[in-house]
Amino acid sequence: MKDSESTFKATTAKDALGARPEIGAQEIGPDKWEVQLRKGSLELAILSALWHGRLYGLEILRDLETRSELIVVEGTVYPLLNRLRALGLVESEWVESDFGHPRKYYQLTPAGRLRAVEMARIWVRFSASMTNLLAPLNEDLKNDDPRKDEL
Amino acid sequence: MILSAESQKTIDTYLAALRKELRELMDEDANDIAEEIRFHILDKIEDGSSSQAIAATLTALGTPKDLAARYRTDELMKRAQSTRSPLLSLHSLFRWAMLSLVGLIVFAASVIGYTLGGILVIIGFYKLIFPRNGGFWFNPRPGGHGIDGEAGFSFTSGGPWKHPGHEILGMWLVPIGLILGSGLLLFTFWLGRWCIRKLWRPRALRTV
Repeated sequence: MKDSESTFKATTAKDALGARPEIGAQEIGPDKWEVQLRKGSLELAILSALWHGRLYGLEILRDLETRSELIVVEGTVYPLLNRLRALGLVESEWVESDFGHPRKYYQLTPAGRLRAVEMARIWVRFSASMTNLLAPLNEDLKNDDPRKDEL
Repeated sequence: MILSAESQKTIDTYLAALRKELRELMDEDANDIAEEIRFHILDKIEDGSSSQAIAATLTALGTPKDLAARYRTDELMKRAQSTRSPLLSLHSLFRWAMLSLVGLIVFAASVIGYTLGGILVIIGFYKLIFPRNGGFWFNPRPGGHGIDGEAGFSFTSGGPWKHPGHEILGMWLVPIGLILGSGLLLFTFWLGRWCIRKLWRPRALRTV
């Protein structure tokens, strides 16, 4: 018991993040959690990218890469767009281009706009509550931030 | 943009493999997906059509098998919502069963429904064709009252039927078996399709 108690004892955020508990490390490691978090937010991110008008697949990818830290895998976005279309949240149409080949454009349906607003509301509320919950960790987070010298 | 023959061949090979993996989809849907991916690749390599650029683009898309797998379930379920084919419906339910507990329950209920319905129809036909070779029997318990006893179906493939009790339905087994069996088959099919329409949702968060 002494060993396991000392293994999980962490007094600062740095210790906690740096700790590598041997049991189930792969399942609960921060890297995997972050990947799941990013994937989980992809639907909202795509709906948001389409908020101001229609875009084709590559434009959506580039918009997400430019405006967010989301690392989007191309092979995930197209099937996801297909799912959103199956759900009636987006609609698509092939448009001939003057500069080359035709492109499949996506745009939000009225149901998609409602869904985006609903998801954004949940996201903002959840984010605020998590920020509140994480307040005690702020000091340690600042000390651990590799960009603190630039700020 | 003019592609070298080798680059064109690499792209065509990838798309042909993708198209093959999407073969269970309707042609129109599979072609639509393949075309979208083709134009995505062409857009991506616009600034550099080297073999390295093409390889990097194809790697980002994933193997044709993995990419197709992400599409197949959604397309299959979409078709199952309006299909008139029990086989397609059952196939879709099986795929659903692999993904969630609800799907597993619906699939199990469907298998039970189809099996029972099928057995009843077969019994009805069997009785119609071989009226003296089987039936529904009841064997009252000695000293028992009412329905106290054993009952069941028994059949023989040839020769006179020696059932272990009294045959109680006679030729009524034909319409009862056919009507109940057909009804159960139809109801199971309808229920499976209804469940797909009402309960199945493509999970955007699912990571295939």
